[in-house]
Amino acid sequence: MRQSRSQRALGRLLPTLVLIASAIFFAFPLLAMARFAFQNLQVIDLGWNNLFEKWSFSSVTASFSDDFFAEALTLSLKLAVGTALFTLGLLVPTAVWVHLRLPKARVFVEFLTILPYVIPAIALVAGIVVVKPHARWFLNSDYSLIPFYVVLALPFTYRSIDTGLRAIDLKVLVEASRSLGSTWIATLFRVVIPNLRAAIISSTFLTVAVVLGEYTISDVLLKRTFPSFMAQYRQSDPRGGYALAILALLGTTLLFVAIGILSKSRSTRPQQVSRSQENEILV
Amino acid sequence: MAIVNIPPLGEEGAVAQATAPSHFWRTPIDNIRNKKSLAWFGLVPFFLFLILFLLIPAISVFAQALHDEDGSFGFSAMREAISGQNLDAFIFSLKFSAGAAFVGVVFGGFLAYAAATAKRPRWLRNIVSSFSGVAANMGGLPLAFAFLSLLGRQGLGTKILNAFGWDLYAGDFKLGEVSGLITVYSYFNIPLMVLVTLPAIDGLKTSWREACANLGGSAWTYWRRVGLPILAPSLLGGFLLLFANSFSAYATARQLTDNSKIVPLRISFFLGGDISIGEDAVGYSLAAWMIILMGISMAAYWLLRRRAERWSNS
Repeated sequence: MRQSRSQRALGRLLPTLVLIASAIFFAFPLLAMARFAFQNLQVIDLGWNNLFEKWSFSSVTASFSDDFFAEALTLSLKLAVGTALFTLGLLVPTAVWVHLRLPKARVFVEFLTILPYVIPAIALVAGIVVVKPHARWFLNSDYSLIPFYVVLALPFTYRSIDTGLRAIDLKVLVEASRSLGSTWIATLFRVVIPNLRAAIISSTFLTVAVVLGEYTISDVLLKRTFPSFMAQYRQSDPRGGYALAILALLGTTLLFVAIGILSKSRSTRPQQVSRSQENEILV
Repeated sequence: MAIVNIPPLGEEGAVAQATAPSHFWRTPIDNIRNKKSLAWFGLVPFFLFLILFLLIPAISVFAQALHDEDGSFGFSAMREAISGQNLDAFIFSLKFSAGAAFVGVVFGGFLAYAAATAKRPRWLRNIVSSFSGVAANMGGLPLAFAFLSLLGRQGLGTKILNAFGWDLYAGDFKLGEVSGLITVYSYFNIPLMVLVTLPAIDGLKTSWREACANLGGSAWTYWRRVGLPILAPSLLGGFLLLFANSFSAYATARQLTDNSKIVPLRISFFLGGDISIGEDAVGYSLAAWMIILMGISMAAYWLLRRRAERWSNS
């Protein structure tokens, strides 16, 4: 190697500096929000000298007793459950069908699932406002948000189910089940779904995270979901609003950590599959 | 296909039987199932769902956008959506989205490289990639609130910088202006970039670097001639993804500012406001232009990603 010693030292120092700078950039906003939310002091007084004074959860407990809190949270949770069920009912059969019967269509379907990036939430909700006069019976209900939330979560959920299917030998499993005399329905519920458990759980968590964080559509359509409540509550009580945001953040982080653990527990098998895919491409 | 149904005769028939041995044993239902054209029917529910809840809304946006004031077909609203104040909004949005994407690509790329090449500690890479998974999805209200408490006028970060003699608000800094939006959006753009580029960086083989060194190339030559050209599709694709992501973000921007120079906020202003009939077509035209812009960036992203996969697969 021709690199001089100082060059090599720089090569080692630079990544470390990048990592430290990133750690600061990503930690500070959260720490600042935590102080705003949980320190019972005037914002203007917050400083070094009172860093450890008057921490309390009073702001959160106060927000819990707001009349609309329970209502908004219940609505969002119901929407999350509905969206998760709808997603699985639609995507699991579709993805299984594509893998078994239409491998040619895989790229095409994958392309369709990134369409929500092309038509982002704000454009989608513009379309909903146009359609609304023609479908009031449907769109007036709060639950009409469910199919649109399925759309918003589609890029994440489809990919997670698709990865799950790639990791198992679906064709062999289904043929074995069918040749032992099982019906298609029984094959789906007793063979395919148990093998996809991890993918199904992680796509459900992704859906829940998307629904509990979705603000665009519910804000424009004036639906009282949890994020809308949070935004409104901050207007009257900033500390409470920040505290709710921290709780929401903790909730979603836990969901994502769970997804990480789930996908790691399977990580030995997908690697084998990707190896075999490599061979296919080489052939 | 009709030929198959004619019963084959004589020796030619025997050959036909031999080349299609299974045909004889199959039930009619199996035959139907095996026809590829019919296999597409299995996707009908999925297609119907997309048509109803994604394509019809999108098409109706265009239908409304292509209305003139008298209700006939025309491009006047589409033209108005890219002139005057609306044009300013598009330019402003393009500026901060491109800026946010650029910052995200540079810092995200470096961070991904630092995480991928760091040998110790071993958990570092896992932490970076898991955290990126969380932070890349952390748009919306909590992010806006976090930055308001850090860099708002009374923010703790603002105070710290003040103590070091840097008055953040002395210039034209505001969370709702270009510099502020770039800072805030970097919080999800950088991790997203890490997620997108980590596989590409893993695809860089040490043997390539060794080959370059053996031929007398320096580290600079390696990056100039080998590393960056291979990473280029991933980096460019990442840029487009981050650009689209920043341009269409609504929730975060909404909490930071009332600035109607941000296109998504402007659309919602037209959607919710009391505006005269005919004016609303401009709102839909803004949305239509946005869909066109996103369509172009995502199509390019899609092509670049396919190009980038060539190296990670070989």
